[in-house]
Amino acid sequence: MLSHGNLLDLAASLTADSPFAAPVTRSILRYGAPLGCRITHHHTLPRCMDLLRGRALAGNAPVPHTGEVVRADRLTGGQGRFGRYWFAPEGGLHMAFLWADTLLPEWSRFLPFAVGIACCETIRAHGAGATLKWVNDVHVQGRKIGGILTETIIGSRGDRYHLVGIGLNMNVTRFPEELRKRATSLQLETGQPRAIDTVFAHLLARLQWNIGLLCYGEEQGLSEGIGPGENPVLLRWQELSDSVGARIVFGYDVWKKPLYEGIVTGLDDQGGLVIRLDDGSSITEYSGEIEYQ
Amino acid sequence: MSSDTIHFDEILGKYRSDPYDYVDMCAVHAGEVRFLLEEEAEVQGVSGKWQHIPGSPIYEITRERNPKVITSKTNGTVSFVNRDLDGKFVEAGTKLVTIRHPLKKKEIIEAILQEVLYLFSAPERARYYFSMDIQSRIDQKGARSIVIQPGDEIITMSLMKRDTPVYYDGDPGILHSIYFSPGDSVDQGVPLLGVCPEEKLSVVQKIITRVKAEWE
Repeated sequence: MLSHGNLLDLAASLTADSPFAAPVTRSILRYGAPLGCRITHHHTLPRCMDLLRGRALAGNAPVPHTGEVVRADRLTGGQGRFGRYWFAPEGGLHMAFLWADTLLPEWSRFLPFAVGIACCETIRAHGAGATLKWVNDVHVQGRKIGGILTETIIGSRGDRYHLVGIGLNMNVTRFPEELRKRATSLQLETGQPRAIDTVFAHLLARLQWNIGLLCYGEEQGLSEGIGPGENPVLLRWQELSDSVGARIVFGYDVWKKPLYEGIVTGLDDQGGLVIRLDDGSSITEYSGEIEYQ
Repeated sequence: MSSDTIHFDEILGKYRSDPYDYVDMCAVHAGEVRFLLEEEAEVQGVSGKWQHIPGSPIYEITRERNPKVITSKTNGTVSFVNRDLDGKFVEAGTKLVTIRHPLKKKEIIEAILQEVLYLFSAPERARYYFSMDIQSRIDQKGARSIVIQPGDEIITMSLMKRDTPVYYDGDPGILHSIYFSPGDSVDQGVPLLGVCPEEKLSVVQKIITRVKAEWE
């Protein structure tokens, strides 16, 4: 059973080679420390996010903790964006967490990036060459290995939370026919099954670090100002992403309604995707999704 | 504005004598400003299928050696340039340029309506769509059958793949005007909805009918 103390130790050990000075590293870890303060583990749930949402919205229940995590071995009603089916059998890592919305809006917009980074780093640490597709799809050579869903919800007492759902394909070896060309798993990529408890602990530790990094970036931005290209979350995201330079199709719901094609030329300092269209003009998108061509 | 205080001839006369909107462009943030055009210059607004081609460059503002060119959102003629500030440091929000934008009939109706309706604006630059409940009611009965109350979850804001519910905070009323299509990218502060108190519906209809009938 993973205790919060063990998790804090793990996060500290995983960041032993942090590029920051020791006091900054400690500060980042402190910011992220609430993640995993309470973990509940279920065998089967419809959706982990629904359980946490219910806790936040229930007027007569205790206020949920920021960083509270719900994990399940399998989901019966897994869903992605736009109600898309998310295949969530045993052998996958399915979890959700709540994070109190204490970030300023200009920084909370980077939370989906921070979560994507944590997932991508975890998959890489376990042997698969994962990359990030804007905003936070985790994939290996075009096949999705991890999905993230982020919502902001207002609790029954008016308190705001970010509700984040994460699904990582771990030891799944067979996907439904309609997903076979789009999906992959850690086992399929590395040839061997992984201990899900270990990967789960590593993922929480990396979430602690990257959410801490986001909070630290906000602190720096407020106290000293952050210039273009200095946001530590965006810098790390760019190291892990293969979106820049890719030819893509963009759409709000790109499966149902692709809008246009272009080449990604970069990210602006707000995380917006800068796309050069075929007529030479550029457009910057702050929401929606892309597919590589 | 109530039905008692609407003087149609006066309002229409005002638009007839000066059928323009005067759009002020203010400093988007603090910095050193340099103007890129003169008074009476013709400017173009954003264009392109995705509204992605920027309008005419209006001014450049430099903060911490990071220059940013600000372009016109609307077409028209430059009626004022605050020349005294050229090359100087300005605070965010300082008025720099005014553009005189010629109004079309539809814009005049909208301008008058926006004085009557409660405007619910985009909290951030993001993509917007109706909450599932509101969308299904629009699909079934049409927007103008929908009465919304303060606290209703009416819209979902989607920013960086994060969905946030947006709650209505104005006076109760009917969903009269919708200024976006679901999935549109909308700039911060731009109206998404115009909500009409039920008792003002007849006034609104009068405005539309009168302008349509009398405006060339």
